[in-house]
Amino acid sequence: MKYMLLMSAPKSGFDWYAKWPKKDLQANMAFMRDFSKELKESGEFVATEGLAWPDQAKIVRAGSDGAPITDGIFPESKEFLAGYWIVDVESPERAYQLAARASSAPAPEGTQGSMPIEVRQIMSGPPPDLL
Amino acid sequence: MKYILMMNTMKAGAAAFGSWPKQDIQAHIAFMIGLNKDLKESGELVSAEGLSFPDQAKLVRAGKDGAPITDGVFPESKEFLAGYWIVEVKNPERAYAIAARASAAPGLSGVPMNMPIEVRQIMSGPPPDLL
Repeated sequence: MKYMLLMSAPKSGFDWYAKWPKKDLQANMAFMRDFSKELKESGEFVATEGLAWPDQAKIVRAGSDGAPITDGIFPESKEFLAGYWIVDVESPERAYQLAARASSAPAPEGTQGSMPIEVRQIMSGPPPDLL
Repeated sequence: MKYILMMNTMKAGAAAFGSWPKQDIQAHIAFMIGLNKDLKESGELVSAEGLSFPDQAKLVRAGKDGAPITDGVFPESKEFLAGYWIVEVKNPERAYAIAARASAAPGLSGVPMNMPIEVRQIMSGPPPDLL
Protein backbone atom coordinates (compact mmCIF):
# COMPACT_ATOMS: atom_id res chain seq x y z
CA MET A 1 0.00 0.00 0.00
CA LYS A 2 1.36 3.39 -0.95
CA TYR A 3 0.93 6.33 1.40
CA MET A 4 1.87 9.97 1.11
CA LEU A 5 3.06 11.70 4.30
CA LEU A 6 2.55 15.44 3.93
CA MET A 7 4.25 18.10 6.00
CA SER A 8 2.31 21.38 5.74
CA ALA A 9 2.35 24.70 7.57
CA PRO A 10 0.88 28.17 7.27
CA LYS A 11 3.23 30.89 6.00
CA SER A 12 3.99 31.91 9.60
CA GLY A 13 5.41 28.42 10.24
CA PHE A 14 7.90 28.86 7.39
CA ASP A 15 8.91 32.32 8.70
CA TRP A 16 9.48 30.78 12.14
CA TYR A 17 11.57 27.94 10.70
CA ALA A 18 13.76 30.39 8.76
CA LYS A 19 14.71 32.05 12.08
CA TRP A 20 15.95 28.86 13.76
CA PRO A 21 19.62 28.94 14.76
CA LYS A 22 21.80 27.32 12.11
CA LYS A 23 22.73 24.36 14.32
CA ASP A 24 19.04 23.57 14.93
CA LEU A 25 18.37 23.68 11.17
CA GLN A 26 21.34 21.39 10.61
CA ALA A 27 20.09 18.93 13.25
CA ASN A 28 16.63 18.95 11.66
CA MET A 29 18.05 18.28 8.19
CA ALA A 30 20.39 15.57 9.46
CA PHE A 31 17.35 13.86 10.99
CA MET A 32 15.47 14.06 7.68
CA ARG A 33 18.44 12.59 5.80
CA ASP A 34 18.69 9.69 8.27
CA PHE A 35 14.95 9.10 7.99
CA SER A 36 15.18 8.81 4.17
CA LYS A 37 18.20 6.52 4.53
CA GLU A 38 16.30 4.21 6.91
CA LEU A 39 13.32 4.10 4.55
CA LYS A 40 15.62 3.14 1.69
CA GLU A 41 17.23 0.41 3.79
CA SER A 42 13.86 -1.03 4.83
CA GLY A 43 12.69 -0.98 1.19
CA GLU A 44 9.74 1.29 2.04
CA PHE A 45 11.05 4.40 0.28
CA VAL A 46 9.31 5.53 -2.90
CA ALA A 47 10.02 9.27 -3.09
CA THR A 48 10.59 12.41 -1.07
CA GLU A 49 10.69 16.06 -2.10
CA GLY A 50 10.96 19.49 -0.56
CA LEU A 51 9.06 22.38 -2.12
CA ALA A 52 10.02 26.00 -2.71
CA TRP A 53 8.73 28.46 -0.14
CA PRO A 54 5.17 29.79 -0.08
CA ASP A 55 6.20 33.26 -1.29
CA GLN A 56 6.90 31.63 -4.67
CA ALA A 57 3.63 29.67 -4.79
CA LYS A 58 1.11 30.41 -7.54
CA ILE A 59 -2.50 29.49 -8.11
CA VAL A 60 -3.31 28.91 -11.78
CA ARG A 61 -6.72 28.68 -13.40
CA ALA A 62 -7.69 28.39 -17.04
CA GLY A 63 -9.36 31.50 -18.42
CA SER A 64 -12.29 31.15 -20.82
CA ASP A 65 -9.76 30.89 -23.69
CA GLY A 66 -7.80 28.21 -21.82
CA ALA A 67 -4.82 30.54 -21.14
CA PRO A 68 -3.40 30.52 -17.60
CA ILE A 69 -4.59 33.14 -15.11
CA THR A 70 -1.92 33.31 -12.41
CA ASP A 71 -2.42 34.58 -8.89
CA GLY A 72 -0.06 34.65 -5.91
CA ILE A 73 -2.45 35.74 -3.18
CA PHE A 74 -3.58 33.20 -0.62
CA PRO A 75 -5.75 33.41 2.49
CA GLU A 76 -3.84 33.90 5.77
CA SER A 77 -5.03 30.47 6.97
CA LYS A 78 -3.72 28.64 3.87
CA GLU A 79 -1.56 25.65 4.68
CA PHE A 80 1.33 25.19 2.27
CA LEU A 81 2.92 21.84 1.56
CA ALA A 82 6.56 22.05 2.69
CA GLY A 83 7.57 18.56 1.67
CA TYR A 84 6.43 14.96 1.53
CA TRP A 85 7.45 11.34 1.60
CA ILE A 86 5.84 8.52 -0.36
CA VAL A 87 6.24 5.13 1.28
CA ASP A 88 5.19 1.64 0.31
CA VAL A 89 4.14 -0.19 3.47
CA GLU A 90 2.30 -3.33 4.62
CA SER A 91 -0.43 -1.55 6.59
CA PRO A 92 -1.83 1.87 7.46
CA GLU A 93 -0.45 1.42 11.00
CA ARG A 94 3.07 1.27 9.59
CA ALA A 95 2.41 4.49 7.65
CA TYR A 96 1.25 6.13 10.93
CA GLN A 97 4.41 4.92 12.67
CA LEU A 98 6.61 6.43 9.97
CA ALA A 99 4.58 9.66 10.10
CA ALA A 100 5.14 9.79 13.88
CA ARG A 101 8.86 9.42 13.30
CA ALA A 102 8.84 12.33 10.82
CA SER A 103 6.70 14.28 13.30
CA SER A 104 9.36 13.89 15.99
CA ALA A 105 12.08 15.63 13.90
CA PRO A 106 14.14 17.85 16.22
CA ALA A 107 12.81 21.32 16.99
CA PRO A 108 14.92 24.26 18.28
CA GLU A 109 17.07 23.70 21.41
CA GLY A 110 17.29 20.01 20.57
CA THR A 111 13.75 19.34 21.78
CA GLN A 112 11.66 16.60 20.18
CA GLY A 113 9.23 17.99 17.63
CA SER A 114 5.60 16.95 17.24
CA MET A 115 4.53 18.59 13.99
CA PRO A 116 1.36 17.26 12.38
CA ILE A 117 1.87 14.95 9.40
CA GLU A 118 -1.09 14.25 7.14
CA VAL A 119 -1.26 10.64 5.98
CA ARG A 120 -3.09 9.85 2.74
CA GLN A 121 -3.32 6.65 0.78
CA ILE A 122 -2.29 6.87 -2.87
CA MET A 123 -4.70 5.17 -5.23
CA SER A 124 -3.48 2.78 -7.90
CA GLY A 125 -5.89 4.30 -10.42
CA PRO A 126 -9.58 4.86 -11.07
CA PRO A 127 -11.98 1.91 -10.73
CA PRO A 128 -12.11 0.01 -14.08
CA ASP A 129 -15.78 0.88 -14.71
CA LEU A 130 -14.90 4.58 -14.75
CA LEU A 131 -12.31 4.22 -17.50
CA MET B 1 13.07 22.85 -13.39
CA LYS B 2 10.71 20.57 -11.53
CA TYR B 3 7.26 21.76 -10.50
CA ILE B 4 4.44 20.11 -8.60
CA LEU B 5 0.92 20.98 -9.78
CA MET B 6 -1.53 20.31 -6.99
CA MET B 7 -5.26 19.85 -7.28
CA ASN B 8 -6.76 20.70 -3.90
CA THR B 9 -10.34 20.37 -2.77
CA MET B 10 -12.49 20.88 0.29
CA LYS B 11 -14.21 17.84 1.72
CA ALA B 12 -17.50 19.00 0.15
CA GLY B 13 -15.86 19.21 -3.30
CA ALA B 14 -14.60 15.65 -3.05
CA ALA B 15 -18.05 14.44 -1.95
CA ALA B 16 -19.68 16.33 -4.85
CA PHE B 17 -17.31 14.70 -7.34
CA GLY B 18 -18.33 11.30 -5.98
CA SER B 19 -21.98 12.08 -6.77
CA TRP B 20 -21.45 13.24 -10.39
CA PRO B 21 -23.24 11.23 -13.09
CA LYS B 22 -21.07 8.33 -14.21
CA GLN B 23 -20.56 9.72 -17.74
CA ASP B 24 -19.26 13.04 -16.37
CA ILE B 25 -16.80 11.21 -14.11
CA GLN B 26 -15.71 9.09 -17.08
CA ALA B 27 -15.17 12.19 -19.24
CA HIS B 28 -13.15 13.81 -16.43
CA ILE B 29 -10.96 10.73 -15.99
CA ALA B 30 -10.51 10.36 -19.78
CA PHE B 31 -9.31 13.98 -19.89
CA MET B 32 -6.77 13.29 -17.13
CA ILE B 33 -5.54 10.15 -18.91
CA GLY B 34 -5.13 12.20 -22.12
CA LEU B 35 -3.22 14.92 -20.24
CA ASN B 36 -0.86 12.36 -18.68
CA LYS B 37 -0.29 10.74 -22.08
CA ASP B 38 0.60 14.10 -23.67
CA LEU B 39 2.99 14.92 -20.81
CA LYS B 40 4.65 11.51 -21.19
CA GLU B 41 5.06 12.07 -24.92
CA SER B 42 6.60 15.53 -24.42
CA GLY B 43 8.98 14.02 -21.85
CA GLU B 44 7.75 16.41 -19.15
CA LEU B 45 5.92 13.96 -16.88
CA VAL B 46 7.87 12.91 -13.77
CA SER B 47 4.95 11.43 -11.86
CA ALA B 48 1.23 11.79 -11.29
CA GLU B 49 -0.84 10.34 -8.48
CA GLY B 50 -4.38 10.47 -7.18
CA LEU B 51 -5.02 10.33 -3.45
CA SER B 52 -7.78 8.58 -1.57
CA PHE B 53 -10.75 10.67 -0.45
CA PRO B 54 -10.49 13.12 2.51
CA ASP B 55 -12.71 10.96 4.74
CA GLN B 56 -9.78 8.51 4.96
CA ALA B 57 -7.18 11.20 5.76
CA LYS B 58 -5.38 11.05 9.11
CA LEU B 59 -3.27 13.55 10.97
CA VAL B 60 -0.42 11.95 12.88
CA ARG B 61 1.86 13.42 15.56
CA ALA B 62 4.57 11.83 17.66
CA GLY B 63 3.65 11.47 21.32
CA LYS B 64 6.32 11.98 24.02
CA ASP B 65 7.35 8.32 23.66
CA GLY B 66 7.50 8.68 19.88
CA ALA B 67 4.37 6.56 19.32
CA PRO B 68 1.83 7.87 16.79
CA ILE B 69 -1.16 9.91 17.97
CA THR B 70 -3.71 9.63 15.17
CA ASP B 71 -6.54 12.05 14.56
CA GLY B 72 -9.08 12.22 11.77
CA VAL B 73 -10.69 15.57 12.57
CA PHE B 74 -9.83 18.53 10.33
CA PRO B 75 -11.09 22.13 10.30
CA GLU B 76 -13.98 22.83 7.90
CA SER B 77 -11.70 25.16 5.87
CA LYS B 78 -9.06 22.45 5.33
CA GLU B 79 -7.93 21.92 1.74
CA PHE B 80 -7.15 18.33 0.86
CA LEU B 81 -4.77 17.30 -1.88
CA ALA B 82 -6.84 15.30 -4.38
CA GLY B 83 -4.01 14.57 -6.79
CA TYR B 84 -0.89 16.02 -8.32
CA TRP B 85 1.46 16.05 -11.28
CA ILE B 86 5.21 16.54 -11.09
CA VAL B 87 6.58 17.95 -14.34
CA GLU B 88 10.05 18.76 -15.56
CA VAL B 89 9.81 21.93 -17.65
CA LYS B 90 12.03 24.63 -19.16
CA ASN B 91 10.47 27.55 -17.30
CA PRO B 92 7.70 28.48 -14.86
CA GLU B 93 5.46 29.69 -17.71
CA ARG B 94 5.34 26.17 -19.13
CA ALA B 95 4.33 24.86 -15.69
CA TYR B 96 1.54 27.47 -15.59
CA ALA B 97 0.38 26.46 -19.10
CA ILE B 98 0.15 22.79 -18.05
CA ALA B 99 -1.65 23.83 -14.85
CA ALA B 100 -4.16 25.83 -16.92
CA ARG B 101 -4.82 22.77 -19.05
CA ALA B 102 -5.46 20.66 -15.94
CA SER B 103 -7.62 23.47 -14.56
CA ALA B 104 -9.95 23.23 -17.56
CA ALA B 105 -10.74 19.53 -16.96
CA PRO B 106 -14.39 18.80 -17.75
CA GLY B 107 -16.85 18.94 -14.89
CA LEU B 108 -20.60 18.41 -14.72
CA SER B 109 -22.13 18.13 -18.21
CA GLY B 110 -18.61 18.47 -19.66
CA VAL B 111 -18.30 22.18 -18.74
CA PRO B 112 -14.64 23.14 -18.01
CA MET B 113 -14.15 23.35 -14.25
CA ASN B 114 -11.45 26.05 -14.33
CA MET B 115 -10.43 24.77 -10.91
CA PRO B 116 -7.49 26.31 -9.05
CA ILE B 117 -4.19 24.44 -9.43
CA GLU B 118 -1.41 25.27 -6.98
CA VAL B 119 1.99 25.43 -8.68
CA ARG B 120 5.13 25.00 -6.57
CA GLN B 121 8.74 24.51 -7.57
CA ILE B 122 10.44 21.40 -6.22
CA MET B 123 13.85 22.06 -4.69
CA SER B 124 16.90 20.00 -5.56
CA GLY B 125 17.97 19.86 -1.89
CA PRO B 126 18.90 21.98 1.12
CA PRO B 127 21.58 24.69 0.76
CA PRO B 128 25.07 23.09 1.14
CA ASP B 129 25.92 25.06 4.32
CA LEU B 130 23.00 23.46 6.13
CA LEU B 131 24.09 19.90 5.40
